[in-house]
Amino acid sequence: MPPGDKWRPRGTGPVVRPYAVTGGRTEPADGETLDLLTVVVTTGQTAGADDPARLTPEHRRILGVCEQQVTVVDLAADTALPVGVVRVLLADLILQGAITVVRQRPAAQRTGNDVLQEILNGLRAL
Amino acid sequence: MGSAHSDSAAAFTAHKILIAGGFGSGKTTLVGAISEVRPLRTEETLTAASAGLDDLSGIGSKTTTTVALDFGRITIGSRVVLYLFGLPGQERFSFMWDELSYGALGVVILADVRRLGDCFPSVNYFERLRLPFVVAINCFDDAPRYDIEELRLALDLDADVPLVLCDARELSSVKQVLITLVETIAVRRSGSAGHIVTPRT
Repeated sequence: MPPGDKWRPRGTGPVVRPYAVTGGRTEPADGETLDLLTVVVTTGQTAGADDPARLTPEHRRILGVCEQQVTVVDLAADTALPVGVVRVLLADLILQGAITVVRQRPAAQRTGNDVLQEILNGLRAL
Repeated sequence: MGSAHSDSAAAFTAHKILIAGGFGSGKTTLVGAISEVRPLRTEETLTAASAGLDDLSGIGSKTTTTVALDFGRITIGSRVVLYLFGLPGQERFSFMWDELSYGALGVVILADVRRLGDCFPSVNYFERLRLPFVVAINCFDDAPRYDIEELRLALDLDADVPLVLCDARELSSVKQVLITLVETIAVRRSGSAGHIVTPRT
């Protein structure tokens, strides 16, 4: 394996199978697959107040990161959880009203010429 | 049932550029030269990976496999975040390209002159998808040098596809590749050159 393209073996590796933390569920409960660049944020409502037992430590970790607006991909990297797992846990929290999706223009229309120009200027300034 | 959408304004907008190319072409190096690389784990269902190849009847449809990929993040100003995703180069992960390509601005396809053919699957894929791309020849120290027109001929690229030489380890070089890509996207959008003023550095 060439060093430039290494697939970072994790020294510790996951101890449990990825979907163990979702109780074996691989599909989001609301049936919506969030895009990697979807931005989410906490609503401030206490999640699972009616049934605290339903909040796992992973749910809480996600809630912690989501106090600031964050993309699904950054959330997965920050929590070191696989994207699929993050999607399932996020759906739980969205259904409970603890987290909400920040409304954005669809990806295809998000990048107007003004944004392209901003990206160009930003890259040149790096 | 839809998820609740908030009315709060987005603090930033997220945009995506893909880094494609064969195994060992320098994708991770390139992402690392311009941003902090972070590993991302995804779970992919084997049904998608092996559609038509493996008989999964009886095993159920929930069998998943872990795929790791790299991504980097460039914060531009306070409201724009650019994400770079390294596409897994190996053929067996090409099923992931569809998801990662969704909503992407454009693609940098990295090529190594010693294994030029490794980038053909990416070139074909993104030509079909009509996603703007540039081909960047990663000039490895020990690789032979060729004339850029020779390379263009060998790659059989359309005339409007930029072909550039780069050093994936160098920020200034990677920066120029990305600028070329964004300029290409802008030109493609406006339908003609010159819509966005591009002073050359």
